[in-house]
Amino acid sequence: MITFLLIIHALLAVTLLGAITHQTISLWWPARTRTGSFINSVRSVPSMSYVTAIVVLFLATATLGSIIYPAYRLGIRTVLQDYRMFAAEGSFELKEHFVAVGLGMLPAYWSIWRKPLAGDYPRTRAILTTVLAFIVWWAFLVGHVLNNIRGFGS
Amino acid sequence: MTLPRSFPLFATTFACAFAVLYIMSVQYNLALFTYHPALNQWGPLVQPPKGGPAMYWYGWLATSAVGALALAALACLLPGRWAARLWPGFAWVVPVGVMLAVIYLLRGYFLR
Repeated sequence: MITFLLIIHALLAVTLLGAITHQTISLWWPARTRTGSFINSVRSVPSMSYVTAIVVLFLATATLGSIIYPAYRLGIRTVLQDYRMFAAEGSFELKEHFVAVGLGMLPAYWSIWRKPLAGDYPRTRAILTTVLAFIVWWAFLVGHVLNNIRGFGS
Repeated sequence: MTLPRSFPLFATTFACAFAVLYIMSVQYNLALFTYHPALNQWGPLVQPPKGGPAMYWYGWLATSAVGALALAALACLLPGRWAARLWPGFAWVVPVGVMLAVIYLLRGYFLR
């Protein structure tokens, strides 16, 4: 069951990663004209259309992560400690704290993307989105690496 | 969906308060409840480990959420001219500061 939930957690995380990465790129490096190239397409996505999906995916991924967290605490963290893999253990500690901070930022993120856009604060909107993107990337990479350390289904 | 005009103020205050209360909860272990994963048991407030490790993360989240909700609701009662002065950028400045503080607190993991 835990393996199944872990796979769903990972799939949600990949979807969230794609959505927030697209949004962040289109914010900082918007396309002026559409050329049809892959890079241009990535840059020209309508940023606002991602907002609700990102909030829902963040909440869903974090919720699922919190459900499988005890399995990590009992079965994986102890192994990391036994093998003295302190950097890996510390990276996960950072992940749990960053995700918690990200959860607290979600209402502000959602609010600043509401229509009509808060035109006075484009930089705030961009930085808020970028911080969330950083949290999502950190959480994804750490989760992926830790899963590789312990091994699938072990 | 129409939101109250005070929602941006609520959201900014919530982001700041949640981040600050969260790091205080972690640092001083102010968990509203404790989970004992080995026994699949929940207990109120901070409890010592029972039958295995104790998990306080859920309790820290609850402490921060309840406290931040209360503070954000209070902020909405402020007069409009005060509320208008609140810079929305605090919604990322404070959380980023807290993230840097967390890195500092956990530096021991990476310096061994």
